[in-house]
Amino acid sequence: MITTKDKILSAVMKPTRYTGGELNSVIKNPSDVDVRFGFCFADTYEIAMSHLGLKILYHTLNDRPDTYCERVFAPWTDMEEEMKKHGMKLFALETGDEVTHFDMMGFTLQYELCYSNVVNMLNLADIPIRSKDRDESYPIICGGGPCAYNAEPVADIFDFFMMGEGEDVIHEVVDEYVKWKKSGKKNKRDYLEAIAEIEGVYVPSFYDVEYNEDNTVKSVTPNNPHAKPTVRKRIMKEFDTAYAPETIIVPFGEVVHDRVMLEVMRGCLRGCRFCQAGYIYRPLRERKADRLLGIADNLLSCSGFDEISLSSLSTSDFSGLKDLTDGLLKITEEKKIGLSLPSLRIDNFSLELMEKVQKVRKTGITFAPEAGTQRLRDVINKNINEEDIIKSTDLLFRGGWTNVKLYFMIGLPTETMEDVRGIADLAQKVLDVYFAIPKEERAKNINITVSTSSFVPKPFTAFQWAKQDTRDMLIEKQDELKGAIKSKRIRYNWHDNKTSYLEGVFARGDRRLCDVLIKAVENGCKFDGWGEHFKFDTWMQTFDELGIDPDFYTARERSYEEVLPWEHIDIGVTKNFLMRENEKAKQAVTTPNCRQQCAGCGVKSFGTGVCYE
Amino acid sequence: MSNYILKYSRDDRVKYISHLDFMRLFHRTIRRTGMNFVFSQGFNPHPIMTVAQPLSVGVTSDCEYMKVGFDGEYSEKEIVDTINGAFPPGYKILAAKKVEGKEIDLTKLDRAVYTIELEYEGNADIDELLANDELVVMKKTKSGVKESDIRPYIYSIEKIGDENGILTLKMCIAVGSVYNLKPQSVIDAMEKYLDNFKAGFMNVHRNSMTYGNVEFL
Repeated sequence: MITTKDKILSAVMKPTRYTGGELNSVIKNPSDVDVRFGFCFADTYEIAMSHLGLKILYHTLNDRPDTYCERVFAPWTDMEEEMKKHGMKLFALETGDEVTHFDMMGFTLQYELCYSNVVNMLNLADIPIRSKDRDESYPIICGGGPCAYNAEPVADIFDFFMMGEGEDVIHEVVDEYVKWKKSGKKNKRDYLEAIAEIEGVYVPSFYDVEYNEDNTVKSVTPNNPHAKPTVRKRIMKEFDTAYAPETIIVPFGEVVHDRVMLEVMRGCLRGCRFCQAGYIYRPLRERKADRLLGIADNLLSCSGFDEISLSSLSTSDFSGLKDLTDGLLKITEEKKIGLSLPSLRIDNFSLELMEKVQKVRKTGITFAPEAGTQRLRDVINKNINEEDIIKSTDLLFRGGWTNVKLYFMIGLPTETMEDVRGIADLAQKVLDVYFAIPKEERAKNINITVSTSSFVPKPFTAFQWAKQDTRDMLIEKQDELKGAIKSKRIRYNWHDNKTSYLEGVFARGDRRLCDVLIKAVENGCKFDGWGEHFKFDTWMQTFDELGIDPDFYTARERSYEEVLPWEHIDIGVTKNFLMRENEKAKQAVTTPNCRQQCAGCGVKSFGTGVCYE
Repeated sequence: MSNYILKYSRDDRVKYISHLDFMRLFHRTIRRTGMNFVFSQGFNPHPIMTVAQPLSVGVTSDCEYMKVGFDGEYSEKEIVDTINGAFPPGYKILAAKKVEGKEIDLTKLDRAVYTIELEYEGNADIDELLANDELVVMKKTKSGVKESDIRPYIYSIEKIGDENGILTLKMCIAVGSVYNLKPQSVIDAMEKYLDNFKAGFMNVHRNSMTYGNVEFL
């Protein structure tokens, strides 16, 4: 039989993005459940299916007999056109049903540039964008993920946010939803008041934001007795034994991370001052090697994946690394499975490990010194020094590697042109290391790639008060660096500064940006993270149209006294600590990592993790 | 090492999977069964498997064939049951046969029967079409798009349904390395050689693939 679905799918690229039906995806009868939950990721299938949080929450929700969690992703533009042509609304992958009257939709907010897609997806679902315009017949729209920590720019859209790790809190809000639904779903406010009492739940409509004349925030005050003055993030205290899915969906098409991801730890003890993940996921908590091996074996057998990767912010800091890799190597060698080890410091141990892992091919190695001079690396508390890099690259070149990538940021606080030229110097020194090795002891064709991204100050970091470099300054620095790189063996890639600028505006934005966002989507913005779709000029016109100056959010150094739009959120790390870190940064003084010495950041109050080792 | 010929089907649920994606899917399926593939030697070891006539995206089938090598002895029934237990819904092994040497040569497959459903307008007179001595259409070959006379490679076309503007045809046409004809080329010929015939959306299903009239499995 010829169906509309066939006509649509035959007309788009990569149709398996939209068919569902992958192995281990969950099939339920929707009429058997109380809650139909759409787990939404505002980007393409390939990116969404690479996200670890989705894998966890999808399966934990589907373990509930009363809930059916389905996946809802952003259709690529060709699919959007076909959907519109045939009057098809945004749909869930498992059943293909329209999501317009699902019970709940939860967006994971992984990066600011996906916000336009959130709005676009709601449009495609025929769901009113603003929370206040949705009555009880529409789904409750909630959000989580790193960007939820400063959700103010999307506060008008969402009914509520979950702060921190979602494994527990998601069940609590679904429990309340079931109660509310069974009581007749009379008033959305009743539901929101019930969940506002749950730790980690932030209902933005229960807070009034007042502004000063200079547009800075004057105050954020609860307007509902159920709302707490500050909302504290949730974490999994017993991370070792915390829920980990027994199964994993196996995509038909190739996705970005087409492999089993083994989450060995959460949090990071390094304290890099620019890194939001380093602060918001504190404290560092580990899983035991035994449990990890069990999870790995299980996920590999049920999926048939031929690659497994360790997931963590800094794998070398994992105390069970040797036991884990010994155990994993047994599995991977026997089953001919690839093991990838990201975020690993290069030393003799890891080099030996890499030799074992990749017996034949020597793929590229990436270092992230982040800054070109030791002074600036001290400013950002990136505890890697030139000697480490020289030593490691010497080991690598002697071991046969010839592809080295060096990652840096430009636009870091206190950066001077000397620091920028330092990037070129460092790359040159790495090249010199190669040429200092006798020809017969090194492989041919050295290749060094220098990549720079533009620093974007993020909330809940030591640099949350900092000024972001203007686009002109960044271009000047990129040009300086281009000129300073002399060797043809060193390639330079840089990141587009327009997207960094928009990211900067929204990262530290406030509620006044909601209107801009919604208008920008009306004006045609979506898929801002995709170069071919990013419409910078349209964004700038939209800011102009609504009389909002985007530079207000990026070009200004904020004072410690200013009320930051996200100050009613408590991540456990205190403002005082971030201020101390910011002051130490100005003096280029480093802070030891959590295992060396407690820096008193405040997360000890969670009563778990590295603070109690 | 033992080689097996597998015959398998795929239905609507998985018909948009490309050939390359199917290769990866099958590879993962075998990993899940715990059976041991024979891996190729070299820098990037991959399982040794050959699919006879890769299916186009969007086409369903009851008659796909592949040859695959396993390290170990498995009964034919074991192979069928084990793989079916590990396949994603939509694929099914219909039969398996252990083979020695070239006793079944999948490259010999030379014809296939398709059932197509086609939205159309105008005159769909199949007899008139087949009365032509030659049917020259533009056809994609390895060396680009070229004119080709497809008439010798159409063995039969039968109209089995025609209602509400949807034509159902069963056609037997050439496949394989000597001459590979796709149902779309036949539709192209209908548009070119029949007056007022205009084709719309088409669904294709492959019913059988044979060597002459010989069905391998």
